[in-house]
Amino acid sequence: MNADFSIREHPLDITSLREALASPHYGGFVHFEGRVRNHHAGRAVTSLRYEAYRELAEKEGALIVAEISRKHVVKAVAVHAVGDLRPGDLAVWVGAAAAHREAAFAACRELIDAIKDRVPVWKHENYADGKSSWIAGCDHAAAVNPDHP
Amino acid sequence: MKPPLRGLLLAGGRSTRMGRDKASMILRGDGNTQAANALLLLEGSCDGVFLSLREGQEKPEGCGSVEILRDAVSCGGPLAGILTAMRHDPEAAWLVLACDLPFVDPHVISRLLAGRNDSPFTAFASSVDGLPEPLCALYGPKALPILEEHAARGHVCPRHIMAEEGAQLLELPAAARHALENINTPRDLEMMTRFSNPGTAASKSAGETPGREVRLGWFGFLAEQRGRREEVLVTSAGTVGELFAELSAHDGKGGLTSGIRFAVNDEFAPPDHPLKAGDKVVFMPPFSGG
Repeated sequence: MNADFSIREHPLDITSLREALASPHYGGFVHFEGRVRNHHAGRAVTSLRYEAYRELAEKEGALIVAEISRKHVVKAVAVHAVGDLRPGDLAVWVGAAAAHREAAFAACRELIDAIKDRVPVWKHENYADGKSSWIAGCDHAAAVNPDHP
Repeated sequence: MKPPLRGLLLAGGRSTRMGRDKASMILRGDGNTQAANALLLLEGSCDGVFLSLREGQEKPEGCGSVEILRDAVSCGGPLAGILTAMRHDPEAAWLVLACDLPFVDPHVISRLLAGRNDSPFTAFASSVDGLPEPLCALYGPKALPILEEHAARGHVCPRHIMAEEGAQLLELPAAARHALENINTPRDLEMMTRFSNPGTAASKSAGETPGREVRLGWFGFLAEQRGRREEVLVTSAGTVGELFAELSAHDGKGGLTSGIRFAVNDEFAPPDHPLKAGDKVVFMPPFSGG
């Protein structure tokens, strides 16, 4: 398992990740939690499953963390869950710590956008009406609408 | 108004060269008999599907409760089955499919149906000789009197009838040039098995055919479509993109292939990435994490 980016079975325990970013050197710490929504495109979501191509996902995720850490001079870590999740469950966690808040905010935002865009993870949603569907990601999601699936 | 579209699965062949009933054979990794897969294909596009059998022939395995039409014409061969069906419902257009075409998939059928008009015959041109392929083809209501007339003259080869009568010819999708190759002999079967469910005999007789053994992985809806997440197969494709085209036979018009990405040995790879024996090749639909 890569220390800076990992794919882990649900439920995620982020205690160690928070600890990794705790240091008197960092005056700003920003984290983002992506949680399972109970609705998508007007349909009621009852549960969903995430699957990942683990080998490549961890490699690409670590590359993203390294790129953004270097760019913003932050320390960053991230984890994405796989398995069966329900609304409210933690799906992805991203944290960035820096000497000052500006870099931490910017890095955190770029991390989650890049992870959604570049890491091979797939979501299969189950709906209240008994149907289910694979969600096709959307290339411009991050740029256009941060709430896009 | 368009006539209704009926499906006819031709399973009345004697499979003489094969030595056993082709319709009951399991040729693909999904475990379905050839007849069952062909019926699924027809049911996806037709309003009513029928199974054509010879008089007295046992129903092939995996056909469920599909309605059977037994040859009521003495001319024999596929024309007997086609004529029987068209007499059964002369107002309909018939999508006729032989049970020994394991490479025909929904994309090939869609392409055929997209070419549908009021011609008596609509068929793909053979990738070998350009002649019409009559056993994965559309027979409109106007075909019935033409076929009757040829049958009365003892002219029973639907391929020659179509060629003579000027069938509307379609081109096979580029990625599915071999989709109408059929399986006639145990040797054909061996080649087919090595192509689609290898893991079995794949590496044992290497050297007989050019090809590399690769490991495949599928994710998301691609895994669902493929019916598996992993497999080993032998391919003659030179690049990862060619391999994908070969396997999916997508014609590039559907939306499903757009956004598919490839990985070779756990690294992202462009479509022109060359394949080596032993490579691990993974096909990825658009990501939806986060």
